[in-house]
Amino acid sequence: MPVPLASIQHAPDSIWGREIVLEPGKKIMLNASSGKGKSTFTNVIFGLRKDFQGKLYYNQQDTATFTPEEWIEIRQSKISVVFQDLQLFPELSVKDNLHLKNDLKHVYTDQELRHFLAQLEIENKWEQPCGLLSMGQQQRVAIIRALCQPFEWLILDEPFSHLDVENSQRSLQLIDQRCNELNAGFVLTTLGENHDFTYDQELKL
Amino acid sequence: MLNKLLFRNQDKKQLVIAIIGSFLGITFLITSIHYLIKVNEFGEGADILGPNTIIVQKEVSNSSTLNLTKTDFSQAEIDKLKKEPYILDVKPVISNNFDVSFETADPLVPRFRSDVFIQTVDPEFLDVKSAKWNWKEGDTIVPIILPRDFLVMLNTFMSASGIPQVSDDLAMDIRFKFTLSNETSKEWVNAKIIGFTNEVASILVPEDFMAYGNAKYGIAADRKITQIMISGRESEFGLVEEMLKTKHLESKNSQLVVGRLKSMVGTLILVVLGISVIAVFVSGLVLIQYAQLLMSRNAYEVRTLLRIGYAPKVLIRSFFIYFLKIFGWVSLLGFGMFFVFKIWLDAMFEEGGLYIGTSITWPSVLALFLAYSLFGIASFFNAKRGIYKQF
Repeated sequence: MPVPLASIQHAPDSIWGREIVLEPGKKIMLNASSGKGKSTFTNVIFGLRKDFQGKLYYNQQDTATFTPEEWIEIRQSKISVVFQDLQLFPELSVKDNLHLKNDLKHVYTDQELRHFLAQLEIENKWEQPCGLLSMGQQQRVAIIRALCQPFEWLILDEPFSHLDVENSQRSLQLIDQRCNELNAGFVLTTLGENHDFTYDQELKL
Repeated sequence: MLNKLLFRNQDKKQLVIAIIGSFLGITFLITSIHYLIKVNEFGEGADILGPNTIIVQKEVSNSSTLNLTKTDFSQAEIDKLKKEPYILDVKPVISNNFDVSFETADPLVPRFRSDVFIQTVDPEFLDVKSAKWNWKEGDTIVPIILPRDFLVMLNTFMSASGIPQVSDDLAMDIRFKFTLSNETSKEWVNAKIIGFTNEVASILVPEDFMAYGNAKYGIAADRKITQIMISGRESEFGLVEEMLKTKHLESKNSQLVVGRLKSMVGTLILVVLGISVIAVFVSGLVLIQYAQLLMSRNAYEVRTLLRIGYAPKVLIRSFFIYFLKIFGWVSLLGFGMFFVFKIWLDAMFEEGGLYIGTSITWPSVLALFLAYSLFGIASFFNAKRGIYKQF
């Protein structure tokens, strides 16, 4: 239970305050209304917040014992994230934003990256600074960036909040395809919209 | 790409100010250390007496001539002088207590003979290797240090005899001999010049030789100490001079002039050195502070890079190398400027009649290396702290 959420009354089926296991390879929807801790959940899983009560284990290892170097290894090859605020570099081009991530593990070629952009209908933005893109276009860049690494889990924090139905589904299809390639699972946080996808599990906050 | 992201958000004005400060600091640091060493080296090797060493006697007045005041030093007086903080050491100058004559003993040189006065001083005061400055009973040759005035006199004699005058080096190859005697016995000992002095008026011999002569041919039982040798601390020669005045002691003026000049110039350069060290330190701090500012201005970039999987050590390396390069260029430019200064200052010193060596002094290069290393270490830990703060 995150400390700031301890004073809030949570529903009986909320994951806060009880033990929950995320099974490898599962596609999970985390459904909650605003202010219930969806971003907090993402940040806790990713080691960005430590202000919570209880224990968080990754592969039976208490994450409280992880060193910065162990967290970096996890962020490079075990868990990838699409942040709600995207965390792109607005002055850098789409190409540079993707390269910054892809250069760590050299997962894709430029051609493949451009192919992903084409799939999400933003190929013509390759050289444009991210700051000049619309929020929806930036969300698609952030999704592709999150795919540019090997991972066991992909955490998506309201990744389609600025996307239309078609682009949401295209993006989700791309995510699903990549997760299947890696036998990885994902956790998608949402305000209730399931984006016409059949999830293995639904969690609530 | 990483550098493009991390170093684009800069306030170059502050960086330029820090670079100029470091450049000036480094330039004056190397220059002042170099010239401090050169000034201290000035005069070394010209005399066989060690640096900052003077021979002192009590002022001779009418009353001392009438035996009303003493001109010799007691052991208590010597011990008292030793306790002065600006004095490194004090030793008596021992004189001969027997008759000595000095003559040429070389078939190539006409015979020249003179009664002489010989003295001995502690080897620590001499700028000569101890192996050369040695004599023991049974040795056939005694090493000597000749007053340069004596060589001038010898050359005058040579000239009058119609033979070429001799240089310092040639004089060291001429064979001489001492005649030690008293009323009942006489002995000859060969002598070889190993060096010259401008500061002592008598021929200097090793202590053991003097002890041997005094023991075997000594006339009076106890000889008074009328001269002492004082070795003063670097840059504190003014205090030695002050003490001489207070205690009515006197020394050869040239020794004092060189010592005074070296003290004065040395003090001035020390002040410049102190200011340079402060300048380097402060400008280094400004650069470090600038690095901190840069990291805080780019906190979002650093934090996001850490979140997308960049290892702290990669980012630390980026900041560390960036500032190491800046300080490296500053150091190179400072060293280059030192060379320009050196050409100018060396020419100025030469015009003023001060012939100081033109070679580079290693401690000044070492100081640059030290400043660079210290900045590197500080820069590394600064970058490490700044990056981990964002983790």
